[in-house]
Amino acid sequence: MPKHYRLPGKKKEGNAAKYITRSQAVKYLQVSLSVFRKLCILKGIFPREPKKKVKGNHHTYYHVKDILFLKHEPMLETLRDIRAYEKKVKKAGTKKNWDLVERLNKQKPTYSLDRLVKERYPTFIDALRDLDDCLSMVHLFAALPAVERERIQVGQIHKCRRLSHEWQAYISRTHKLRKTFLSVKGIYYQVEVQGQTITWLTPHALQQVLPTDVDYNIMLTFLEFYETLLGFVNFKLYQSINMKYPPIIDSRLEDLAADLYALSRYFDANARASVVESIDVSSSEESELKLARLQHHLPTNELGALMNLVEDVGEKDEDDAETKECRNFFKDMKFFLSREVPRESLLFVIPAFGGVVSWEGEGAPFPESDQSITHQIVDRPTQSRKFLSREYVQPQWIYDCVNFRVILPTDEYLVGRVPPPHLSPFVDNEAEGHVPEYAEAIKRLQAAARKEVLPLPGAGEEDLGDPQNLLGIIDRAEEIEAAEKKRKMAILQKQYLDEQKLKLEGCNYYDRQNVSKQKDAEGLDADADADADADVEGTDADADVEGTDADEVPPPDLRQIAEDADNMSKVLISRKKRKLLEAMEIGNERKRAHVKLLKERKKKIDEAEKSR
Amino acid sequence: MIGRSFVVSKLKTIRISLQLQLQFGYLDSRLTMKIPKNKKQQKKEEAGKINETLGRIGQQLAQVADNSEDSSSDSDFEVVDNESLSEDEGSISESGMEQSEPSDNEDVVVSSDDDNNDDDDVGSAGDGDDRNGDDTSNSSEVDGGESDDSREVVEESDSSEDEVAPRNTVGSVPLEWYKDEEHIGYNLAGRKIKKKERQNKLDSFLASADDSKSWRKIYDEYNDEEVELTKEDTKLIRRLLEGKAPHADFDPYEPYVDFFAWDDSKHPLSNAPEPKRRFIPSKWESKKVLELVRAFRKGRIKFDDKPKEESNLYDVWADDSSLTERQGLTHIPAPKFKFPGHEESFNPSREYILSQEEINAHQLLPEEDRPKLIPKQFMFYRSVPAYEKAVSESFGRCLDLYLCPRARKKRINIDPETLKPKLPSRKELRPYPTTCYLEYKGHKGPVTSVTTESTGQWIASGSNDGSVRVWEVETGRCLRVWDIGEPVLQVVWNPLPELPLLAIAAGQDVFILNTGLGSEEEQKKIEELLCVETPTAPDDSDKNASFISWGPDDKHGGVRLKHFKTVSSIEWHRKGDYLSTLMPYDILSPNLNFIYLLIHTHLIGIRHCCEAFCLLSLCFCSFLNSLKRESRSVLIHQLSKKLTQRIPYKLRGLAVSSAFHPIRSIFFISTKKDVRVYDLLKQKLIKKLEPGVREVSSIAIHPSGDNVIVGSKDGKLVWFDMDLSSQPYKVLKSHEKDINKVSFHRSYPLFCSCSDDCTAYVFHGKVYSDLNQNPLIVPLEILRGHASAEGRGVLDCKFHPRQPWLFTAGADSVIRLYCH
Repeated sequence: MPKHYRLPGKKKEGNAAKYITRSQAVKYLQVSLSVFRKLCILKGIFPREPKKKVKGNHHTYYHVKDILFLKHEPMLETLRDIRAYEKKVKKAGTKKNWDLVERLNKQKPTYSLDRLVKERYPTFIDALRDLDDCLSMVHLFAALPAVERERIQVGQIHKCRRLSHEWQAYISRTHKLRKTFLSVKGIYYQVEVQGQTITWLTPHALQQVLPTDVDYNIMLTFLEFYETLLGFVNFKLYQSINMKYPPIIDSRLEDLAADLYALSRYFDANARASVVESIDVSSSEESELKLARLQHHLPTNELGALMNLVEDVGEKDEDDAETKECRNFFKDMKFFLSREVPRESLLFVIPAFGGVVSWEGEGAPFPESDQSITHQIVDRPTQSRKFLSREYVQPQWIYDCVNFRVILPTDEYLVGRVPPPHLSPFVDNEAEGHVPEYAEAIKRLQAAARKEVLPLPGAGEEDLGDPQNLLGIIDRAEEIEAAEKKRKMAILQKQYLDEQKLKLEGCNYYDRQNVSKQKDAEGLDADADADADADVEGTDADADVEGTDADEVPPPDLRQIAEDADNMSKVLISRKKRKLLEAMEIGNERKRAHVKLLKERKKKIDEAEKSR
Repeated sequence: MIGRSFVVSKLKTIRISLQLQLQFGYLDSRLTMKIPKNKKQQKKEEAGKINETLGRIGQQLAQVADNSEDSSSDSDFEVVDNESLSEDEGSISESGMEQSEPSDNEDVVVSSDDDNNDDDDVGSAGDGDDRNGDDTSNSSEVDGGESDDSREVVEESDSSEDEVAPRNTVGSVPLEWYKDEEHIGYNLAGRKIKKKERQNKLDSFLASADDSKSWRKIYDEYNDEEVELTKEDTKLIRRLLEGKAPHADFDPYEPYVDFFAWDDSKHPLSNAPEPKRRFIPSKWESKKVLELVRAFRKGRIKFDDKPKEESNLYDVWADDSSLTERQGLTHIPAPKFKFPGHEESFNPSREYILSQEEINAHQLLPEEDRPKLIPKQFMFYRSVPAYEKAVSESFGRCLDLYLCPRARKKRINIDPETLKPKLPSRKELRPYPTTCYLEYKGHKGPVTSVTTESTGQWIASGSNDGSVRVWEVETGRCLRVWDIGEPVLQVVWNPLPELPLLAIAAGQDVFILNTGLGSEEEQKKIEELLCVETPTAPDDSDKNASFISWGPDDKHGGVRLKHFKTVSSIEWHRKGDYLSTLMPYDILSPNLNFIYLLIHTHLIGIRHCCEAFCLLSLCFCSFLNSLKRESRSVLIHQLSKKLTQRIPYKLRGLAVSSAFHPIRSIFFISTKKDVRVYDLLKQKLIKKLEPGVREVSSIAIHPSGDNVIVGSKDGKLVWFDMDLSSQPYKVLKSHEKDINKVSFHRSYPLFCSCSDDCTAYVFHGKVYSDLNQNPLIVPLEILRGHASAEGRGVLDCKFHPRQPWLFTAGADSVIRLYCH
C-alpha cells in the first residue's frame, strides 16, 4: 500500500489535507489559470512549501486556507463577470452588432483594489516595508516605451511616470534619501521613511529593450496593484506633510519633462502659502498655480530666492539627526546641470540633500550665466567655455559625496579626468573582508571632516586641556594606527617572552626555529583572518607551545595540531550539526577565496603600476 | 463618313443599345491606335477602365432596352433581338479579352509607327469592324428599314446624315478572306466594291503632315475609306474616357417609371385576408422593450459617456484600529532583492574587473554556473548603455513573487564554533597517551596484531611475515622470535599472570605456545597443561568438535589446534582456561564438502544401497540441524580438558569478532550487521545490538561490562550502553577509513580506535557508577606516526594493562608505544 493511500471515504489529514496543488486549486475555484494567476497576484497569495509533498515533487502547492481565502474574495465574481462580458463583446463583434459593442464597451465591469491594499497592508508601515518591488517596477515602467502589441498603454506609462515623480518629490522634499548607487543595471536609491529602509532601482534614462520572452500580462497585473498601492502611499505621505494630493503641476514644466521640478515648485508654493498666510498676503499660491496652469504661464523670476526662502522656513525640528544632516549637506551650493548629465536623477538627488539646482533648457530656475553657481555638473570630454567662479565636476562626484556624507575634493572628478572608482554604499567592507583602496581614502577624509566639525558645537569651551575634547579631536586614522602599533608591540613582546622561556628550558636551536616557523604560520593566519582573530590565535599558539614544552618533543606541525583539534571537536557533533558546520565552513572558505582573489588582483595591479 | 454618322446616330438612341456596346469596342480599338506616345501608359489604364465601365453601361442599357422593348409590339422581333443580344454579349466578352490581352502589343505597335505593323492594327481594327458589320446588319434590321426593308422605322435621330447605311454588305466575316481579292465586299446592289488604290507610305505621310485635320482621320477598313471624326465624336469619346454616359443628355439616375400601372387594377394580385398579427402589438417587441427598460432601471445600460473619475484616492489607513492584523494564514514576506556590491558599479575598483583569461574560463562553465554579471568599467557615466536585461530581471522577480513556494527558514547567523560542543579541558583528563615514545622494529611485514602481558612487562606481536615476537616494553628488546611460517592473524596473551601462554592464530591453525617467562613452578604447570599425548583422531560420535584436532606442536613446543578454516580471531576468557576462535568464512561450504566426501566414500565402500540411503538421509538431517541451530564459525576451546565446543546458537550473517564478558558468563559475537549477546549458562540470546553501520569490524567490552564499543568499516565508532537500549548511545564519526580495531583500557577511563588512515584516536570514556548519569565521552588525542603500506594503516592497538600507554601495530611493520 502506498504511503499516502487513504481508504475511500476516509478523511484526509496532515499534509494531504492541508495542501493542494495548483491545478486542484484552479479546478476548485472554477476559474481559468490566467484568472487564478491574476487573483493570486492581486491578493498576494503564494505557494507554500509543505513538509511532505504528497502529490509529488514537481507540483506547486498552495495551502487550503489560502485557496479558501481566494474563494471568498468578491473580486473572484468580478473576474468571472469580466470573462462573461468579454464573451458578450466578442459575440456581438462577430455578429457585427456594433451598437451593442459600443454600448458594452462603456460598461465593462470594473473592480477597485483599495480594499485589497488595506487587506494586504493593514497598517501604513506594512505598506512601506513592502515597497521595494513596487517602486522598482513603477520606475521601470516609467522608462519603458508604450507598446500596443504587448498591451502596454501610453496612459499607464504616464501614470507610472507621475507616481514615480510624486514619490521622488516627496523624498526629495523631506530629505529622506540616504544612499545612491550608479550601477550597470541602473541607479539604486535607498531612503528611510518612517523608520523603514526602502531601496529601489531605476533604470538608466535610455531607450529600454523589450524582450520577447517575457509575459507582459503578468507584469501588468503586478503593475496594476503596485500603481494603486503607490497612489495610496503617496496620498498618505503628502497628507503627512500637509500637501494636497494629487498635486497640481505646472503643465508647461510638465511638457518640458521637468516634472520633478514642477512638483518641487508645487511644494514650495504650498509651503509658502501656509507660511505667508499669517502675514496675510493677498493671493493663495495654489490658486495662482491653478491660474498659471490655465494660462500656461508662471512667473519665472526670483525662483531661486523663493526656493531658498521656503527651504529655510519649511521643516520643523521634528526630524532626526540624519535628516538634518542630509538637509544641510549641500546647503550653500548651487548646481548647474549640463545637457548630457542624467537630469532626472540629479534633480532628485541634489535637492534631497539641500542643494539648489538648475539645468540647461527652458523653464530652468536660473541660467548658466548665473554668477552664484558653485558647481557645474558636466559629463563631456572637454568644457570649452568655463566660468572661473565655479567648478566643473562629473556627476559621479555628487553621488560619491552623498554616499559618504562628505564633500569630496573635486580634483579627481574634474572634467575629462577618469574619476576614482564608484563604490557601492550597500557593502559592509569590514564584514566582506576586502576594503577597496578608495574606501580607505574616503574614510580618512571623513575623519578629517569630522575633526573640523567636532569642535564646532563646543566652540564656547575651547579648553584643549579637556580630555574629552582632545579625544574628540584625535584623528580616527591616527587612532587606528595607534591601535595597530599596540597590537604589533604585543605580538613582539609575546614572541620575546616565548623565546625567553624556551631558552630557560634549554631548548636547542631546532626548537627555536620551529617556534619562529610557528610564528610565521601565525602571521599567515592573522593575514587570512580578520584582525580581531589575531589575538585569539596568539593565545592558542601559546597553549601549544606549552604543550610541546611539557612533552619535550618537537611538535610535528602546527597546522596538523590545529586540524586535529578541529577534527576532534567535530567527532562528537551529531550528524545534522556536522553537516551544518561543514556547509558554513564551505561558505566561509568561498568568501575567503573571493577576498584572496581580489587581493591578488589588487597586488598585481599595484605591481604593474610600480613597474611602469 | 457613313461609319461616323452611324456611330453618332446610334449613340443618340438609348433603346437600341446593342450596337452601342459593339461600337464601344470599335471606338476603343480606334483610340488605342491614335494615342500619342507619351500618353500611352495613361491611355492604357484608361482603356481598361473604359472597358469595365462600358461593360457595365452596356448591361444597364441592355436592361433598359429589355424593359423598353417590352412595350414594343412585335414579339417575333423581340425574340430575334434577344438572341442576337446574347450572341453579342458573348462577342463582347471575347473582344474584351482580346483587347485587354494584347494591349501591350498595341502599344508596341503604336510606338514603332511602322506600316507593317499597321497592317496588324488594321487586322485588329477589322475585328471591331466585323462586329460593326454585324451591328450594321442588325441595326439595318432594326432601324435600317428606311432603305429598302418594309419594316417599320423608329424615327429617332433628326440628322439625315445618320441614315447613311454602310456600303459593304459582307457581314461580320474576317476581312482576311478578302485579302487577296480585288474587292472588299459587295454593295447593296450586289456589286463588288473595289479596293481603293493604296497610297504610297511616303505620300500618305506627306498628306497627313500637310493635312491639319489628319489627327481626326480614321481609316475604316471595313468600308475601305477614311472617316473624319467630327467635334461631336471627339466629345463623345472624351465622355467615354471619363467614364460617363456617352451622351450628355443621358441621365442614368432619372426617376424610374414603372411600366405597370398598379393602382388602377380592379383585382388584387393576392386575395389572402390580412393576418391578425397586423392588428395586434408584437409580443416579442414588448419583451425586448421590457428587458431594455429593466436594464435601464437596474443601471445595466447607461448612457453617461463621461469617463470615470481617475483619482479616487483617499487615506486607506485612516483608521488603523479596525484592522491591524493581516487576515488569513500567517504571511511570509518575500525576501528583498540583494543589494548591489562593488562589482556592480559602472566604475568599479580595478581589482573587481576580470582578466581575459578569467572571462574565458567563465565561458567554459555550464550556463547556470556562470556569474550573472561580469563587472565592466565605464570611464564616464555617459558611456553606460541601457541594461538589456532590466525587463527580464524584473519579470523574473515577478515570477519569484507569485510562483516560488515560500517557507520560513531559520537563518542561523552564528559563529560556526558555537556548534561544537563544549568539552571539558583535556588537561583535566590526563593522563592519556600523547606522544610516541618507543618504536619496536624487527618485523619484516605488516604487524597484524599486538598483545600485552598482564603484568605489563612484555608484549607480543604477530606479523604477516609469519613471525611472532616477544618484546620487553621498556627497553624495546626483542626477547623471542617464533617463525610460524604462515601469516599470523592474531596473537593473544593469556590474561592470567601465572600462565604466560600465547595463543596465535595463523592460517587454519591455532597455536598455544609457552613463552618461557615466569618462575620455574609456573613453567612446570604450563608444561603439564600443554601436554597433549596424541593428536586426537576426529571422533565422529562426538558432535562437539569433530573437525578440530588437538595435537602437540613439535616445532615450537606447544599445542596446535587444527581448524577446518582460517581462524581470524582468538579471544581468551578472563579465567584463562577457555579460548574462543572465530572462522569468519561461509559455514556452508565445508559442511557440504564434508557431506559429499562422506557420501562418496560410503557409496564406494558399501554395497547395499538402502544402507547408503539411510546414511545419506541421516547425514542430511544432521546437516540441516546444524544449519538450523548452530554456527560452526565460532568455537570455544577448553585448554585444561583439551575440548572444543560449538556455540549452540545460530548466527545470521558472517561472524566478525567475538568477546567474553569481563565479569559474567556472557558472550558477544558481532556479525557484519549487528552484535549478539548470549548468555552462556542459560544458553540463550539476551540482546541484539544494532549499530546501524555498514560493516562491523571489531568490538570491545568496557571492563565493567555494561558498555560496548563497536568499530565499523565506514569509520564510525559506536558506543552502546547495554542498560539503555539496543540502539547506540553515541556514534562518533572519527576516521575517514576503516576502523581496524577498538579497545578499552583495563583500569583508566580510556578507549581507542585505530584505522587505515594511519591514525589512532584516544578517547576519554568515563562510565559512572550512578546509573542515572550517562557515560562521558571526550576525544583526547589523535595519534599519528604510522605510515601507510598497501592501503593499510594501523592494524591493531592495545593499551598497556597498568599504565595509560598505547601500543599500535602498523602496516609499516613497526610497533609504536605512545606514552602520556
